[in-house]
Amino acid sequence: MDLHSETLLTMEEASQLQLVWKRFRRHRLALLGAVMLSIFVLAALFAPLLAPPVPRGANTTKVGLLPDPTAIDPINQHLPPGTKGHILGTDEVGRDILSRLLYGARVSLYVGLMATLGSESIGAIIGAISGYYGGVIDTIAMRVTDFMLTLPLLPILLVLSAMMAGRAPTAFARINYLIIILVAFGWMTSARLVRGVVLSLREQEFTEASKALGASDVRIILRHMLPNAIAPIIVNATLAVGGYIIVEAALSFLGFGVQPPTPSWGNMLTRVQDYMFQNPTLAIWPGLCIFLTVLSINFMGDGLRDALDPRMRSERVGGG
Amino acid sequence: MTNYLIRRAITMVIVLFLSSVAVFAILNAAPGGPLDGLRMQNADRNRRVTALDYARLENLLGLDKPVHLRYIVWLAGDDWIEVLPVWFTGTNAFGEPFKNGTHKGILRGDWGESWRVAQGRPVLDVIKSRLGNTVILMSSATILSLLVAVPIGVLSAVKQYSTLDYVATTFSFIGISMPVFWLGLMMIILFSLKFKQWGLPYLPSGGIVSLRGPGAGTLWDRIKHLIMPTTVLSLLYMAGWSRFMRTAMLDVLHQDYIRTARAKGLVERVVISKHAFRNALIPLITIVTLQLSSLFGGAVLTETVFAYTGMGRLYFEALGQSDWPLVMGYLLISAVLVVVSNLIADIAYVLVDPRIRYD
Repeated sequence: MDLHSETLLTMEEASQLQLVWKRFRRHRLALLGAVMLSIFVLAALFAPLLAPPVPRGANTTKVGLLPDPTAIDPINQHLPPGTKGHILGTDEVGRDILSRLLYGARVSLYVGLMATLGSESIGAIIGAISGYYGGVIDTIAMRVTDFMLTLPLLPILLVLSAMMAGRAPTAFARINYLIIILVAFGWMTSARLVRGVVLSLREQEFTEASKALGASDVRIILRHMLPNAIAPIIVNATLAVGGYIIVEAALSFLGFGVQPPTPSWGNMLTRVQDYMFQNPTLAIWPGLCIFLTVLSINFMGDGLRDALDPRMRSERVGGG
Repeated sequence: MTNYLIRRAITMVIVLFLSSVAVFAILNAAPGGPLDGLRMQNADRNRRVTALDYARLENLLGLDKPVHLRYIVWLAGDDWIEVLPVWFTGTNAFGEPFKNGTHKGILRGDWGESWRVAQGRPVLDVIKSRLGNTVILMSSATILSLLVAVPIGVLSAVKQYSTLDYVATTFSFIGISMPVFWLGLMMIILFSLKFKQWGLPYLPSGGIVSLRGPGAGTLWDRIKHLIMPTTVLSLLYMAGWSRFMRTAMLDVLHQDYIRTARAKGLVERVVISKHAFRNALIPLITIVTLQLSSLFGGAVLTETVFAYTGMGRLYFEALGQSDWPLVMGYLLISAVLVVVSNLIADIAYVLVDPRIRYD
């Protein structure tokens, strides 16, 4: 490729991106979502800097001044919001709520992103193979996909997470097990999506041309099929992040996800009903964080859909 | 069609068998289990459980059998297992072969007994005692959501980009992004806690009926307990379904036959109701039939938040207490319902749309 066509190519790409950005910017709510989400992401990244340090002399299980979302302080239980050193107050064992929210953001966003990454890649591979080869492979893959889409998700995730998590040696391993389970039951939508795109591309001339040039199946799928499916995958992935954050929160809320003392927005809500009379604010913050994060992600997804592929739609039927 | 149904029936049985094997394996391969608590008790000298006690308990629950034998017992009972060769069944803690028991197995209608949640009661009895509550909750939420979501979805498709459409879209975005259990908690704080503090008529924060006080156990009392869980569930369903209906309707409205119908001078009302709506019904059938299985399975989150003793909460309790027979029973019923409702959906498609054909 000579220099000239190289420049042409990059110019072409830049204008494409500019076009997408222009269309995205026009979507007010999507822009708002992007800003809100950035705030949450920054808060999660800089949690150790933002969280208030453990006060000196407090009767904590861990000594030191570093912020610690698991530091217990039995003397200062249920401090009201606005207390000095605890802007949002403390919970039933005296842990600082703001610290827990900040560290909980890490869990939620990590689970959301990793589960999405996993399920979108696996779905893309299954969808591409199924659509490209067709025949028996396609029939079996799509039957399995259809069946898995109808399964009652929450009961199954609950039983798997209860069983698998018992083996996790550390809190972090447990979170990763949770992600694996979410991926195992979350790849179906993207598999269908990619299959649809590949099915239509398979019949086009450039595929035949590639084959005639001696390109392998893997190369055709990776270089010609998947790049064409990237727009719907991105949109689907954005919406999936929000879905996974909610599912993680639900599992943790029920006690089958991230385990205390590791803070997660879901498990912070687990026992709030016991303290509803003493400290109703306990229930408000974690849920509000989940809601705002997922809402901003969904707004962004909607904006991306308009920007990348105005014809595409993807709707989900919610659980209970 | 008959051929198709027969084939479907065979696949259904295979799918059910495989999923029961999978669930059973997952439950039984996990570390811990129902007797885990007893092991921990050993730290307390006064309540120490001897190895013999432990072996007896294991034997009582059938946990001393190897996993493959446990599955066979669950499936076909243990009143005949002496027939099986010892190399296949293995031996118990005392090195003796397993004796015949009294269980008949699920194939002969014996679902076993609950271990912990309702100790000693037959699983089927426990499930039956919770089923009514769940069916009431789920069917009222489903009917309410359909009554609201379908017209909203259709109207916002017909009047795309109108104010109604924007309001409905915003509402459904909020509904999809809202964790259902948090919405429940917020409603409890507002309508039970704050309303009581403010001296307003307030709603009960959970349960099925009041245990005491004026009007306890009356129909109105029951309805009061239903209001919040039904509302929470309905809002969730409405958010998803109205979008779903809107998409389906928009899809149909862009079809050629709609243009033809309009071109031949049909009134818009007829075009919408007779030509468009009927064809947009297919996705609706998918929703309603998928909903069928949760009608019995209940809503784990909502029932937990509102302490509503239905199937979802029963499952949650059984899982938390390692009550495997109950968990198996619940999951088996769910699997059967999923498979059957899939079949019902496929048959309903043919009834609504004669273009669809199976052979």
